[in-house]
Amino acid sequence: MSAHQRGTELDLSWISKVQVNQPAVLRRAEQIQARRPVKKEWQAAWLLKAVTFIDLTTLSGDDTSSNVQRLCYKAKYPIREDLLKALNMHGKGITTAAVCVYPARVCDAVRALKAAGCDIPVASVATGFPAGQTHLKTRLEEIRLAVEAGATEIDVVINRTLVLTGQWEGSDFIKTSTGKETVNATFPVAIVMLRAIRDFFWKTGNKIGFKPAGGIRSAKDSLAWLSLIKEELGDEWLKPELFRIGASTLLADIERQIYHHVTGRYAAYHDLSMS
Amino acid sequence: MAETCTGSRASEIFTTLEYGPVPESHACALAWLDTQDRLLGHYVNGKWLKPEHRSSVPCQDPVTGEELASCLQAQSEDVAAAVEAARASLENWSTLPGAFRAQHLTRLAKMIQKHQRLLWTLESLVTGRAIREIRDRDVPLAQQLLQYHAIQAHAQEEALAGWEPMGVIGLVLPPTFSFLEMMWRICPALAVGCTVVVLVPPASPTPLLLAQLAGELGQFPGILNVISGPAFLGFVLSSQPGVQKVAFCGAVEEGRALRRLLAGQGPELGLALGAESLLLLTEAADFDSAVEGVVDAAWSDRGGGGLRLLIQESVWDETMRRLQARMGRLRGGRGLDGAVDMGARGTAARDRAQHYVSEAQSQGAQVFQAGTVPSESPFFLPTLISDLPPACPCTQAEVPWPLVVASPFRTAREALALANGTPRGGSASVWSERLGQALELAYGLRMGTVWINAHGLRDPAVPTGGCKESGSSWHGGMDGLYEYLRPSGTPARLPYLSENLNYDTFGLAVPSTLPAGPETGPSPAPPYGLFVGGRFQAPGARSSRPIWDSHGKLHGYVAEGGAKDIRGAVEAAHQAAPGWVGQSPGARAALLWALAAALQRRESTLASRLERHGVELKVAKAEVELSVRRLRAWGARVQAQGCTLQVAELRGPVLRLREPLGVLAVVCPDEWPLLAFVSLLAPALAHGNTVVLVPSGACPIPALEVCQDVASLLPAGLVNVVTGDRDHLTRCLALHQDVQALWYFGSAQGSQFVEWASAGNLKPVWVNRGCPRAWDQEAEGAGPELGLRAARTKALWLPMGD
Repeated sequence: MSAHQRGTELDLSWISKVQVNQPAVLRRAEQIQARRPVKKEWQAAWLLKAVTFIDLTTLSGDDTSSNVQRLCYKAKYPIREDLLKALNMHGKGITTAAVCVYPARVCDAVRALKAAGCDIPVASVATGFPAGQTHLKTRLEEIRLAVEAGATEIDVVINRTLVLTGQWEGSDFIKTSTGKETVNATFPVAIVMLRAIRDFFWKTGNKIGFKPAGGIRSAKDSLAWLSLIKEELGDEWLKPELFRIGASTLLADIERQIYHHVTGRYAAYHDLSMS
Repeated sequence: MAETCTGSRASEIFTTLEYGPVPESHACALAWLDTQDRLLGHYVNGKWLKPEHRSSVPCQDPVTGEELASCLQAQSEDVAAAVEAARASLENWSTLPGAFRAQHLTRLAKMIQKHQRLLWTLESLVTGRAIREIRDRDVPLAQQLLQYHAIQAHAQEEALAGWEPMGVIGLVLPPTFSFLEMMWRICPALAVGCTVVVLVPPASPTPLLLAQLAGELGQFPGILNVISGPAFLGFVLSSQPGVQKVAFCGAVEEGRALRRLLAGQGPELGLALGAESLLLLTEAADFDSAVEGVVDAAWSDRGGGGLRLLIQESVWDETMRRLQARMGRLRGGRGLDGAVDMGARGTAARDRAQHYVSEAQSQGAQVFQAGTVPSESPFFLPTLISDLPPACPCTQAEVPWPLVVASPFRTAREALALANGTPRGGSASVWSERLGQALELAYGLRMGTVWINAHGLRDPAVPTGGCKESGSSWHGGMDGLYEYLRPSGTPARLPYLSENLNYDTFGLAVPSTLPAGPETGPSPAPPYGLFVGGRFQAPGARSSRPIWDSHGKLHGYVAEGGAKDIRGAVEAAHQAAPGWVGQSPGARAALLWALAAALQRRESTLASRLERHGVELKVAKAEVELSVRRLRAWGARVQAQGCTLQVAELRGPVLRLREPLGVLAVVCPDEWPLLAFVSLLAPALAHGNTVVLVPSGACPIPALEVCQDVASLLPAGLVNVVTGDRDHLTRCLALHQDVQALWYFGSAQGSQFVEWASAGNLKPVWVNRGCPRAWDQEAEGAGPELGLRAARTKALWLPMGD
């Protein structure tokens, strides 16, 4: 995400012209999930791809350097080596896209990743996450400190007070929600956001990334998200620069599914390492 | 070893992220075919019928061409056997309490549930349609249909008192159809107590499987019989004694031919023709959702036909770009693959599509194709045609699957003109986020079904049907039940065919009339002339016909109307139509009541006119009084039109609207010259139609008397009365392409001619087949049947959400 989008003049008439028909979007959301099943080798390959989109996340009040370290190790080795070997995918550098932590844990993550000898980026939520209800001054300071600590990606909570009063902000990526809301990443909402990304691309030539977060727990869900991106935006958006999945437990389920694909057996809890 | 093979594949897919095949095993479908030794016969009276010495047709996999089974072709005697079985089981089935029939239908729903995998794999295997659509939509809907109609059967004695089942129903299905088309029709028929014989085209195993499932319930084996055979057997089936109604769905021209063949035959004919749909996309639409609507309509194996797409000019480029981008992501392939949008439908469907595309291209149209389909022959790419010149023959022809023909419009008014400018009147969707505009368009479309911001939704409780050349029969909801009911006590329909009726000459010539002696009619004489456009006019032929009283004396002369007068009357009626439709039910009722009051004031004149025709004075007065009551009754009933339906899984209502037919022509019976005239006029007006009436031939004077009040009370052109030779006027009306419906009460020959001639624009007709009707009785003179026939249903879907 080195090349930031240059932005464009804010033209609110674009937004006011957009029409969204909710029942129709709900129907489309149902259809996408039913119409593009992926099975067998395709499923295994797609799941590995999904791994490379994951922002492996821990956002708990009780995070410490030890569980952040474990998370970073899992980010570097997301799937058991022998399983990758069976799929002929070992040594191809399959890691998650990033690890995502609170600002105060950034330095732990950076240190752990350095120790593991890898260059997985560290993302930090910032700006009064998850409510965003702090002063602009402290919000900016928070970002500065996270960057200073080594974070290369910042998930900014936009000021929803401004949004709800029609004053928008710009970004490289848009995220469905903080993941901490009662309703998080849902298909209908994602469809509307993806269509906005496509329209913006058609109008300006700028590609904005998309990150669903919260509630994506099963391997099956992740496949549906991939096909949603593929159907609404196309293959060019299926790369970590433009698509991330914010998740903490998803990876474990993906690993379980791959275990099953390779061995034909369902894994026990202890067969796979925790994150 | 196997693992490394998988492995290398996985790493390749990891890079391309392509979709893979998701084949559904069709082993159980093949196993079922094996139980029949790959030889399918017919399913009659709860048993397989495999007569000897019959030719057979191969049932092929539409994609691979592999022969799956061979299907015996029925002959006339097989059809007769099936009808006999249906007849034999009718007495028992139709007299059962509704609750028993409800139970039986519920059991069938359960039976389908138990064997659904077999059902969906078999259907997808032989039709080539995407299995996802059959599995996730058709099979659940089939079960819902049975359940809905079980409930209707349960409530029948109460809700449908005064109606009885018609009897044996013949159902004729087209070559490319989903088994659902059969379910939509057999469910209501069975629910109300009819028994059914279904004629399916050769090589259609799914209906046979359904019949077997029904048969294996044990009881009532003969209520559902399925035979397969060539199309001409449709006529054989229709002319079997005992068949009371034929429901036909298929191509327009086949329906037209059947309409002509069945003139004067026993059964009533219900037509559901064509499969084209329409989508109207305004500048206020959610474009991406509308594009999904196009996909639902044409490229998802949901609808049967192609789509006519009207796009507002101001957003043409933007929507075409989205549509074309979306098309690129469509996937075609073997129907049994769970990840395809569109299957294959065999070579005939592909050739039809190809023919249309070539024709359009030769006329200079733009053809855009995209998506991925396997390169083998039976597949056809999703196709978008634009810039079709307006005069090109393709523009009027029905758009075949899987084509979408897009054309621009400028204003809502123009959109309606374009949308209503085809002979088809099936289904359409309107896409606009502006509520007022969406409703205006939805009400203005002459279609059986209109969805707002959705396309292709179906529900057992919502009537689905059409108008114009899409045929005017219904399935689903209450309207679907009435298709298989008749008012209690109606005699069975028997053939009344007159072999020597010459359609070319019937009513062609008008006998010339000469002065016939002194007029002895009362004075003041009623105004002379045809009542057209709100005033009395001289007939185009400038000649008259004598009217004799009951003593054989010349009562007076009435105008001799002809073809030109009919033309003028129909024109006047069309001009009056928009104003009358726009009136509120209350305003319509007020005018009918005003007319009733005027009739009452005219009572003594009318009674004396009737008396001159041999009616006893007391009876004549009663006739006038009853006529007044009819006007009042229908005026009151106007108020209670339409209703709202609530549908499962849809937030928002579905409106069941009752819309006028348009210009309704009525040929009144000779008997009850005043009462019959008013009894027919009142429901027609109450439902918003404008009318052209031919009054009693023997005694037209009372009708002309009424016209004097009509002239002063009702808008001009609303009611037009043309006197003259009844056969001649009937001919003119029946052949008129712009008359939307025709009621005929006259001779058997006239009835037969009307049925035959209605094939021209497929107008719904109601004929008395030469039988008299008890106009003074409530049931026949003012029963709900008249109300049903006087309007057509439109289902308007209004999904809501913000």
